[in-house]
Amino acid sequence: MARTLAMFTDTSLCIGCRACQVACKQWNELPMEEPEWTGSYQNHAHFTDKTYRLVRFIEKPQANGELQWLLMSDVCKHCAQAGCLDACPTGAIYRTEYGTVNINQDVCNGCRYCVSSCPFGVVSFNHDTGRANKCTFCNDRIHNGLGPACAKTCPTESIQFGFRDELVAKAEKRVAKLKEMGYASAQLYGADSNSPLGGLNAFFLLLDKPATYNLPEKPLLPQRNVLVDSVLAVGAALLVGVGAVVSFRERGGKGADDA
Amino acid sequence: MLRNPEWHLLIVWYFFLGGIAGGAYFTAAIADNFGGSRDRGVVRTGYILSLLMIAVCGMLLILDLGTPSRFLNMVMHFKFWDPMSIGAWVLGVFGLFAFLSSALSLSADEGRAALRRKISLVGTIFGFFLASYTGVLLSATALPFWSDARLMGALFLASGASTGMAAISLLLYLSGDSAGEGFKKVKRADRFAILFEIAVLVLFLVVLGSAAAPLLSGHLAPLFWGGLVVLGLVIPLLLDLLGGLRIPAAVPAALVLLGGFILRYVIVMTHA
Repeated sequence: MARTLAMFTDTSLCIGCRACQVACKQWNELPMEEPEWTGSYQNHAHFTDKTYRLVRFIEKPQANGELQWLLMSDVCKHCAQAGCLDACPTGAIYRTEYGTVNINQDVCNGCRYCVSSCPFGVVSFNHDTGRANKCTFCNDRIHNGLGPACAKTCPTESIQFGFRDELVAKAEKRVAKLKEMGYASAQLYGADSNSPLGGLNAFFLLLDKPATYNLPEKPLLPQRNVLVDSVLAVGAALLVGVGAVVSFRERGGKGADDA
Repeated sequence: MLRNPEWHLLIVWYFFLGGIAGGAYFTAAIADNFGGSRDRGVVRTGYILSLLMIAVCGMLLILDLGTPSRFLNMVMHFKFWDPMSIGAWVLGVFGLFAFLSSALSLSADEGRAALRRKISLVGTIFGFFLASYTGVLLSATALPFWSDARLMGALFLASGASTGMAAISLLLYLSGDSAGEGFKKVKRADRFAILFEIAVLVLFLVVLGSAAAPLLSGHLAPLFWGGLVVLGLVIPLLLDLLGGLRIPAAVPAALVLLGGFILRYVIVMTHA
């Protein structure tokens, strides 16, 4: 496997221009959608099958009565342990040699299991094609040395693309700097590969706790439940089986009335 | 914000009929191996019913994909840790067992019956799997309630067993075969299965704790309490235990089936 590629989104640098959102739409040829009223400048409320990059506009009330504007360009996290990938029964969802997670559109059969298995609600079902969609990390671009369209277009370098280890080191320095400047809640989300889901290949620098950005504090891999639940089901099968055997057993031994 | 998979009625029906297929086959297999010649009606009805249900299940899954031919993508790949992948395979393998058992149950030949009994013991494993994996599949998602439930597979299995038995007894009743020993045994086994299902359901809710809110107090709550708990479990059990009420045996059986459908409905529709 080649060296893992990553995207680091430093939300402290985001100015909410949405150039990333537009660049993503253009490069991936994603059609427009009806705008919707979300209560803030944010559009849309969430990722859709036609919106892979989404700038979140979060208005957080301050102690002095004013609003703090938190901006965050959100995207598929390309988890190191990806729920969607494990859920996919056709093998359409695969990991590239760069560590990113993609959906092979020709193989996807539209079962939607991945949609419910994403801890971030990223994977979306496209009703036109009958297949699941999400950010590809601009797979075609990164395989030609161009970098994802969103990172390329970001005017403030809020979105940075590169080798994961280098970006993590950079991000850690940036957090330390922000803390020094008085942003006490500045923190990295998904940078540590020991963090939940084995770390995120699209990781973030947040200025507040993850919940403020509608991100789960501890995202969990859905497949953690398979073993326990299966064992419990086997236990139930044994008990039901015993009940039925007792009900059907012929008194005086098997086949006593056959003669 | 998490996203629901847009699984609706086709999936509810699949979960329900898959449970009946597994439960009916298992009941027939137990009757075949541990019962006697008077249970022949149960055996034949159970095997053939499971075969028909599996055929319908396959069609429901294919329909749900929108583009039927894409079902092939599912069988060109196998993932042993993925409930949906194994489920698709097991549906096919179990179908083969149900076909063999059904075909062999049509003959009165003793040699074939011995083979059929052996086959049915292996087939039962796949039947149990079909009845329960759908619960495990839901719990292996990122969605609250589904992923908080620890006994969904066990609950679906218990319900599959009792609905399978109810379906067999309903068919025996309708075909005028409700006076025999086999019919009584199915009723006895179903009584146990219903009691077991109630116990699993209680445990299921206890383990869920506050995460059970969608069932207990949401818009699905009336259906859960009225449809599943009262109509689908308590009333059939009472009718069975009290007896002698001159109520046709078809009534409790139909109520158990209704309850089994409502169980899958309220759980799947929590995230619809």
